[in-house]
Amino acid sequence: MSSSPSAAAVDVRGVSKIFNPGKANQVDALLDVSMTVTPGSFVSLIGPSGCGKSTLLRLIGDLTSSTSGTLTVNGKDAAHARKDQDYGMAFQQAGLFEWRKVHRNIELPLELRGWDKAKRRARSTELLQLVQLPTFGDHYPWELSGGMQQRVAIARALAIDPPLLLMDEPFGALDEMTREHMQAELLRICAQTGKTVIFVTHSIPEAVFLSNQVVVMSARPGRITHVIDVDLGDRINPDEVRESAEFFKKITEVREALRGAEGGHGVRVDDR
Amino acid sequence: MNSFGRALQHRSAQIVPPLAWGALFLFAWERFVIWREIKPFLLPAPSAIWQQLKLNKSGIWQTAINTGTNAVIGLIAGVLVGLVIAFVAQRYETVRALIAPIGAALNTMPIVALGPVFYNLFGSTSDTARRVVIGLVAFFPVFVNTLRGLTQVDPIHSELMRSYAASESAFLRLVRLPNALGFTITGIRIAASLSVIAAVVVEYFGGLQNGLGSRAASAMKLSATAKGWAYVAAACALGLCFYLFAVVLERVAMPWQARRRASERA
Repeated sequence: MSSSPSAAAVDVRGVSKIFNPGKANQVDALLDVSMTVTPGSFVSLIGPSGCGKSTLLRLIGDLTSSTSGTLTVNGKDAAHARKDQDYGMAFQQAGLFEWRKVHRNIELPLELRGWDKAKRRARSTELLQLVQLPTFGDHYPWELSGGMQQRVAIARALAIDPPLLLMDEPFGALDEMTREHMQAELLRICAQTGKTVIFVTHSIPEAVFLSNQVVVMSARPGRITHVIDVDLGDRINPDEVRESAEFFKKITEVREALRGAEGGHGVRVDDR
Repeated sequence: MNSFGRALQHRSAQIVPPLAWGALFLFAWERFVIWREIKPFLLPAPSAIWQQLKLNKSGIWQTAINTGTNAVIGLIAGVLVGLVIAFVAQRYETVRALIAPIGAALNTMPIVALGPVFYNLFGSTSDTARRVVIGLVAFFPVFVNTLRGLTQVDPIHSELMRSYAASESAFLRLVRLPNALGFTITGIRIAASLSVIAAVVVEYFGGLQNGLGSRAASAMKLSATAKGWAYVAAACALGLCFYLFAVVLERVAMPWQARRRASERA
């Protein structure tokens, strides 16, 4: 974590998000959340359902607005950063457009920015190389497996070469084998492109394997309870890392933090 | 086997069984009529209907053209109006709130039954009344389906477009329209079948005696049953033409679907 907000990729200061404020169904999705993400780092948000990790990601992406607090992305406010497309986004569902072939799915953000056709195609060809699907450009999305579709979604998120990637459980719908393979792929892509990543996940091993920092959150109200630094090296040999003592040590640490987060707030008397 | 051979085999596997069943059915019908000595004014044999079709070839062709023209004009008008109103309803919340319940209520009404009312309004010596009825019948499935396709956008697609800072017009062009296309085509396919049915049935309620429905009805009244059946057969053929048109339209307008279906057959 950096103390200088101007150097931060993402800076969240005292942000709260309250749904239906003042009504009977008020939900404190996030309460006074602060965090700073340094450029080039990989940060995972982990916590029980309803802890607001996806909401936090959407706030950073300016897909929803905060109730209070300040939030800067790339040194700008979130709305400005979104308009400048300082980030790319990937979701649990690949969310490809079924009527567009793979190439044209990846090219969509470029089309919106007014790139000409030849330049768009060159870029999507390059990205398909990066996600290791060089021959699938002219396929329709339904012709690809779930893991392949998710690669295309990642390529699309990278299309305009944004400094930041926001990922909301992108591998959540994949089987375990594909998932582990995609994790290694994502690390390779990040190492190659130097992106900053904020990654929402339910999986402790996934968070530990991928991240420089695991941010543990608690539910109702959603807040950050622990920030755990992880250093597993370059992870060029994923299997070795996944069997290492350090990996298991960090998994235990995150699990205990999660349990603590649960225990600390689970017994809280709801005074509303 | 090469892919062309395989495709041909699939095609014939699709076409041969229904044709064989149809032929068997006609044959059984023919034998049954002869065996039980059914009176021709009750149930004519297929061969007798075929005779009538050949005998009245030009008359049937002309009446089929008349009914078909009404159906085409009504269908086109209904589709166009349905599309326009669906767009307006998608754009303006108040219009949607106003039209949706009216649409649902009118949709439960047997619109062909309005035939006599419109004959009264537009005169029974023109085709206008019929075309209005057909247009109304064709309107609803197109309107309802198109509106659904325009409004039911995958939330992920909405968020993606927002993350791209896409304008509302880009969103309409790149997401809403292609998303609605499949729905609209479904609507048109339903409307195409309904428009032929409406075109034939509305003729039973009066008006000019120049269509398949009116000729079939009057032939039956005169106990020229086989002739009546010949007109009914022509109406079936007309309906089939409209259905085939809708299938071709779907193939042309949605290549990604066509390719998908082709692979699912394989």
